[in-house]
Amino acid sequence: MQVYSIPKSIKENSKFTFCKGCDHGVAIKIIAEIIDELNLRENTIAISSSGCSVLLYNFLDVDCLEAPHGRACAVATGVKRAHRAKKDEKFVFTYQGDGDFASIGLSESMHSALRGENITAICINNTNYGMTGGQMGPTSTMGQLTTTSPLGRNKEYHGFPIKTAEQIALCEGTQFSARVALYDVKNILNAKKIIKKAFECQLNNKGFSFVEILSSCPTNWKLSPQDSHKKIAEELTKIYPLDIFKDTTND
Amino acid sequence: MSYIKINQDKCKSCYLCIDVCPHKLIKKSNNTGSTGELTVEFSDNENKCIGCAQCAIVCPEIAIEEVTRE
Repeated sequence: MQVYSIPKSIKENSKFTFCKGCDHGVAIKIIAEIIDELNLRENTIAISSSGCSVLLYNFLDVDCLEAPHGRACAVATGVKRAHRAKKDEKFVFTYQGDGDFASIGLSESMHSALRGENITAICINNTNYGMTGGQMGPTSTMGQLTTTSPLGRNKEYHGFPIKTAEQIALCEGTQFSARVALYDVKNILNAKKIIKKAFECQLNNKGFSFVEILSSCPTNWKLSPQDSHKKIAEELTKIYPLDIFKDTTND
Repeated sequence: MSYIKINQDKCKSCYLCIDVCPHKLIKKSNNTGSTGELTVEFSDNENKCIGCAQCAIVCPEIAIEEVTRE
């Protein structure tokens, strides 16, 4: 009995081009599995953004659109509304990094949540700008060494990091907001369950759903894949607690 | 007999699967992968594999393509 095979929504013979040990691969894999399970493949439009997350369209076998930097939620709003006007309902989700979602595109993201736009946003939080060389991002933790904060992030000069899932949960239009991690099997399975719930929130026309995924960045953290996962489990989950911060899907 | 199928071309030698295997059936092979490090291989001479698929779940490269449980 075959208990595992490559999800059908991953393009055939595709080889991920992420750094070794990067959790982006796991995130794309579980999204593809959920698209398979909910049978959404022919009905999905994925919006990718700038950064490492842009590579989604190379691997996911669904229609994808690349948004300008930070504007994925705005583009998703347009795609969703245009298809609704044509009475051709599509499943629309965005796949963004933390710099894209919570810094450059914070206004687009926040206002999509405030409008209660019926889309799903997925934000990969690896606490830096990975693709451009590990600059300090909005979610970099206090004291974190990055290429633009070589002495560590400090509150006098850089200020405090943003807790995206909590902030989005405060918006009245948000129906589902949660934070998950991918550092071990238990958390990967839990993440899959929660992302599926966020997708179902959109399918039931409830409103804005958001999932923040704590991801490792071994290259820019200058750690091995194992130590990166250890860092997430021991340090990052204390700063960014894993929880469901808002869930009104059962109301 | 339970077994897993590893695609050596995709393996980037992160060794997350080695850590997660409950019976330590995944080992470093003698082949050099795309990152210049040794890829992994599956060796199960005593039929110890239980087909739990944990290796496939943690693999960030979908290099573990199939898991079959008896």
